[in-house]
Amino acid sequence: MRLATAAMLVATTMAACGQDDGAKASAPKAPATIPELTKDPLTLSFIWFDWPPAHALEAFANAEYTKERSNVTIKVNTVPNANWHDAMFTQFAAHKTDFDIPILDSQHIGEAVTNGNILDLTDFVKKNIDVKAYNPYLLAAYGQYPQAETGKRDENASMYGLPLLGDTWTMIYRKDLIGDKPPQTWDEMISVAEKCQADNPGVSGLAFHQANGSDAAAVTYNTVNGVYGGNLWDSKTRKIEGVINDTAGQEAMDVLVNKMKPLTAKGSGNWFIDEVNAAVAQGKACIAFNWIAASGGLLDPKQSTLGTTREQILDKLGFATLPSQKTNLVPLGGMGMHVSAYSPAANQAEALNFMKWFEQADIQKKWAAAGGVPSRTDALESPEFLNAGPFNQVYADSVSRMRDMWNVPEYARLVDIENTNVNAALNGAKTPKDALDDIAKEQQGVLDSGSRKGGGGL
Amino acid sequence: MSDRWLAVAFISPALLLLLAMSVFPLLWALYLSFTDYSATRGGPAHFVGFENYTAILTSAQVHLRALTTLIYVVGAVTLQTVLGFAIAYLISRRTHGRGLLTTLFLVPMMLSQVVVGLFWRFMLDAQFGVINSMLGSLGLGQVEWLTRQRTALISLIVVDTWQWTPFIMLIALAGLTAVPKYLYEAASIDRASEWFRFRTITLPLVWPLLLIAVLFRAIEAFRLFDLVYILTSGGPGVSTETLSFHVYKVAFLGFNTGTASAYGILMVLVVIVLTQLYLRYLNKLKED
Repeated sequence: MRLATAAMLVATTMAACGQDDGAKASAPKAPATIPELTKDPLTLSFIWFDWPPAHALEAFANAEYTKERSNVTIKVNTVPNANWHDAMFTQFAAHKTDFDIPILDSQHIGEAVTNGNILDLTDFVKKNIDVKAYNPYLLAAYGQYPQAETGKRDENASMYGLPLLGDTWTMIYRKDLIGDKPPQTWDEMISVAEKCQADNPGVSGLAFHQANGSDAAAVTYNTVNGVYGGNLWDSKTRKIEGVINDTAGQEAMDVLVNKMKPLTAKGSGNWFIDEVNAAVAQGKACIAFNWIAASGGLLDPKQSTLGTTREQILDKLGFATLPSQKTNLVPLGGMGMHVSAYSPAANQAEALNFMKWFEQADIQKKWAAAGGVPSRTDALESPEFLNAGPFNQVYADSVSRMRDMWNVPEYARLVDIENTNVNAALNGAKTPKDALDDIAKEQQGVLDSGSRKGGGGL
Repeated sequence: MSDRWLAVAFISPALLLLLAMSVFPLLWALYLSFTDYSATRGGPAHFVGFENYTAILTSAQVHLRALTTLIYVVGAVTLQTVLGFAIAYLISRRTHGRGLLTTLFLVPMMLSQVVVGLFWRFMLDAQFGVINSMLGSLGLGQVEWLTRQRTALISLIVVDTWQWTPFIMLIALAGLTAVPKYLYEAASIDRASEWFRFRTITLPLVWPLLLIAVLFRAIEAFRLFDLVYILTSGGPGVSTETLSFHVYKVAFLGFNTGTASAYGILMVLVVIVLTQLYLRYLNKLKED
């Protein structure tokens, strides 16, 4: 008993002393000028989720950046997609990171900024980056916080990151099954998929993300919601209830669950990036949707049953921008680079130098040729990018149509609510209406309790 | 150095480690559970009394997860106990190859939960999985094992049973081999039937040991996280989201550390209270 009392006293004392250091809730500022770089061997560490662009980045950076900085080794640490947020933010919570450059999803920025986890790069960007070279929407999406209501860049807003990889969904369609011309509207796409499925036993009409983890099912619903004229929220009034589940939202959920889901393969309710790619590569889907940055493997004959050469595969596969319906919106993907507030000073300086180097026009073109998706307009329009993959033109054409989610500190909880409910609707665990109403109610609850530090987490 | 000081010198490293790694975090979590602290948002922790506990105990979401966990624990542990005991009983009757059989049955238990989860995720895949392929060759239809509300929970129970039945089997086997042979010899002299011998000799003598195995398994099953994470991510929707998985989400998605600490403390309390009741029953059984 005496031991327990003593331990309790120690715990209380430490709790009282230990929590003041976290009191500041704004991001520390990065210097405008890059500090002197070390000549000692240094490993610059990134953290990202495990997918082809992460490996491409490590290979590219070690091949190119080390030409200028031979003492630097680049290491891209990867975690499974579902652990990505937790892997970064648990280290942020410990105020000690084993990475220098976290690659945050655009919606993670709010949480990281308000917690003071990443450096404020505003002065650095002003002095070192040619901001006019970018599509302002992309620059805002990957770096600015608070995010502008219009999605456009606010030149007076603070910048916390720079683009690393742009991305959006591409429609992948079987030219040999549905013809060379991709469907232009969402309704047309559904009827084409329906016919293709009926004409080709064993091949499903559609393949798309439906999984419970990460943002898989949520992005699918958001995409259909956008195309059918819905909105995720009213950012001015911070209202979700009555907005996401309005008439347009309900129509979108109805289209997704009652028209699109019956055209998917049985048991595809937990499919994400890899499963959709596998279905396409094995010739099991007429039309599929996937992130462009994850589509490179589809052209690898070793992973495909559609042909023994890249050309044979391309004879069967076509890539197009998403069909439009009431609007022509497409989901914004991709991520930005940020600097951990808890990295040693030498690593922070190196990270800033890397970012400055990476954002140069010629490096962005080389990154594009290496499989990356750049955000600088000159690199986006360059032959190096447009010729690097059959889906790159899709990205270039989609940039002006992109819509992001809510860039707020509560993002992780909001996306989880949407994911689980859309997944429930897609797998018959909830009716579409109930799922949508639950999303609205639960998300509103999270936003409304956002100012409170405890509670609201259930 | 006196014997007393020597004992202190030997024990203190382990004791300090235990305090630092086990007792202190528990007390720390207990303290945080009465605050609104968030690990990422920083700032001082404010005392909120029993607010976190009230929120958890009155939350419909928590009630739903508790029900899911209860169904899972009862289903999995019952199945494992019946199967484990049956296998142990059959093995105990063999004289040849008993060791080899026991070793083979123990293999699933040796594997990590993550490996088991990934292995069964492929096995249960509706499109390409071995299980559906076998059902197809028998002329039966495809089953959406992991993406339908009922089958997802059943799949979790089946996978957990596949992995942990050997644990029950091992303990039951130890009990069965410890039953004095003379009791069976006396019974056979009296021409007692097989069923009579099982009911009046085997089961009563193995039962207390089996109940301890059940206790261990029930506590483990109550904490189920890994299999849910890998096999279903709590889906479809939240229909396989157990209490442990939910508390993980509260702790690491929302970083509501105070609420998550209260949630964890409540889970520990539930286990302690149920274990105490169970142990009392066991003691009573022993006295009888």
